[in-house]
Amino acid sequence: MERQALGLATWAVFGDVVYIGLKNMDYPLIIATACGAIALYLMMPRGQAWLIKLGALIGVLALAAGLSYLTHWASVAFPAQPAAGPGIFFYAFALIAIASAVGVICHPKPIYSALYFVLMTLAIAGLFLLMMAEFIAVVLIIIYAGAILVTYVFVIMLASPTGAAAEAVDYDRISADPLVAVLVSFLLLGTVLETLFTHSPHGFIASSASGAPAHAVHWGGLAALGKNLYSRYTLPLELAGVLMTISLVGAVMIARKNSPHTQMLGLGDVPTE
Amino acid sequence: MMITHVTNSFSDPTLVRYLALGAVLFAIGLVGFMARRNMIMIFLSTEIMFQGVAINLIAFSRYYHNADGQSFVIFLLTVAAAEASLALGLVIMLFRQRQTLNVDAWSDLQG
Repeated sequence: MERQALGLATWAVFGDVVYIGLKNMDYPLIIATACGAIALYLMMPRGQAWLIKLGALIGVLALAAGLSYLTHWASVAFPAQPAAGPGIFFYAFALIAIASAVGVICHPKPIYSALYFVLMTLAIAGLFLLMMAEFIAVVLIIIYAGAILVTYVFVIMLASPTGAAAEAVDYDRISADPLVAVLVSFLLLGTVLETLFTHSPHGFIASSASGAPAHAVHWGGLAALGKNLYSRYTLPLELAGVLMTISLVGAVMIARKNSPHTQMLGLGDVPTE
Repeated sequence: MMITHVTNSFSDPTLVRYLALGAVLFAIGLVGFMARRNMIMIFLSTEIMFQGVAINLIAFSRYYHNADGQSFVIFLLTVAAAEASLALGLVIMLFRQRQTLNVDAWSDLQG
């Protein structure tokens, strides 16, 4: 009897929570996110071109829905300044970044994915310029587009099956578990966006634009960044250098062919051809 | 005077849009991380997630007029470079073992 009552009470509370959750949900945002999820699910490599085209169409619809939601949200949450927001450059760079990120994970050929990644890096560097982080923008291009991506491209060329083995490769043409992956990440994304758009104006982002400290004239730029790195974050900066050294040594040791280390691990006699 | 004009233009709606873009990039990278079967592509997807986080850090740095966010992005780039070098070294080693980049080829590693 008591257990039944307890179960009933639990269900009542649970139902209440679900009801309140459903009632307060921001349905246009959820629909836009779900459209994006469906689009990405259709565009994951599956070896069928028309599915990819359909997915791209739904993706464009999802982006348009998100954009119209943004204008609606701004007029509701900030009635005093509904037009306040980033300019056309933000939308252009954001669109390029999202489209090329989708290109990275959806293209069946890794070398094209790497090139899409370069495009995404350039767009994000443009966004950093818009946020007055010009040094970070330049560093991002040098390190990501210049160094890391060249490494990726070299590895893609070095470690590609050739000849008959290349014909039989299907692990790039058919993805593993697109449904589970899309569900998990878009649940996460929907939760984050819901929290961001329904609670942010008066919620966890406490300080408004007027809350910036008064002494913050020289807050950004290379000089302020260098001063910050070498005064407040000296030890982390040294540790970052140590990390780079360790990873350099580690990468050389791992990638060496028939080194004493690999022989010690029993990986010595590797057929090379 | 010009600086105050610029800082006023980065208001709450702008910040929220940048944060949303960072979240979208993170989600796309997560999908790639879980759904691709090529080891190189898996690590490339983590780089997308890194960039989504970097957008968040720079946006907050811009919003609070604070160079800490930019400093964190420097550290993030360091970690990303270290991760890329180690991961690609591992990929080369694993490719020499099995002549394939398929992660499923190594599913016998589970305990």
